Amino acid sequence: MRLSVVAAISHGRVRRQLGLGPRSRLDLMRNLVTALVRHERIEAPWARADEMRGYAERLIDYAKLGDTNEHAMRMANFWLTEKDLIHKLFKVLAPRFQPHPGSYTRLLQIPNRDGLDRAKMAVIELKGNPFPPLIRPCRDTEKTLLNQLLKGYREDLQQAAAV
Amino acid sequence: MAGLLLLFPPRLRGLLQRCWGSLERGLLPGFSGSQSPPWGPALAVQAPALLPQPVDDVAEGNEAPSLLDSILWMAAPKKRRTIEVNRCRRRNPNKLIKVKNNIDVCPECGNLKQKHVLCGYCYAKVKAETRLIRMEIGKKEGGPFNAPTVETVVLYDGENPTEKDEGKRIIERPRKRPSWFVQN
Repeated sequence: MRLSVVAAISHGRVRRQLGLGPRSRLDLMRNLVTALVRHERIEAPWARADEMRGYAERLIDYAKLGDTNEHAMRMANFWLTEKDLIHKLFKVLAPRFQPHPGSYTRLLQIPNRDGLDRAKMAVIELKGNPFPPLIRPCRDTEKTLLNQLLKGYREDLQQAAAV
Repeated sequence: MAGLLLLFPPRLRGLLQRCWGSLERGLLPGFSGSQSPPWGPALAVQAPALLPQPVDDVAEGNEAPSLLDSILWMAAPKKRRTIEVNRCRRRNPNKLIKVKNNIDVCPECGNLKQKHVLCGYCYAKVKAETRLIRMEIGKKEGGPFNAPTVETVVLYDGENPTEKDEGKRIIERPRKRPSWFVQN
């Protein structure tokens, strides 16, 4: 006899349940997308930021179609609750991302939130924003221990070959 | 009547059927349609219709089980768990705290960080600077909902806009440029 109801088990389910229901989840996503377009770098719980990333990138794809496109304007009107951001989307973000084929956002994990819930947080930002960079690509310098040892080994081999 | 029912939507149909059924049972002694009468079989001989119910009120008196009954059907440990069994359960690897081997040293500041997470100190530094830049942006915009339709560039003390910064909104920060914010 089946003791556990299928509806209560979530093995293999990939869609996230955020907010109070599907409508509430879309409202949450809309608020986050508006905030991202306004501030270009926001901190949010990782699940919400990950979910929002897809919607934000598709919105930018729509914006690339141009503001004369009726469908693109309707999408921007729905997704951006603050109407001055529609101008910013079509005049600033669409030209900025015109050369890029995709992946206009960067999602990075931050240390867990300081509150009681210790939630997994992430920072999501649009590429090309004017703020200081979050990650610095470090180039290999000669001064690291490993590189110094390798340099010494290479010189030893050269001396041995010269002799 | 069936034809009439088909005209109505299913919910109204069910409601009507229920109302009709309660009407039949309550008010009308006769019955309509093909439904069988709700009464029991009639006796041919003159005799009372119902047999006298057996008197067994005493046996089915207590519905709630008494304390003595409840001991029979509630779970309880049979034996004391020995310390050896307890140790096996408490020290099983799935109960111990797992060792993390993904902790590294941040190459910029030397604090500890997890490999897949940003360094807390460096992120706090960047967050503080971003906050100050945003305050300058707020002062420049004046009020809410004044997002500009041009790009933004941040310049520090003694820096001049290059030809790449043509047509961009310039945000001035009155301090020396930090080493980790490379101008590009």
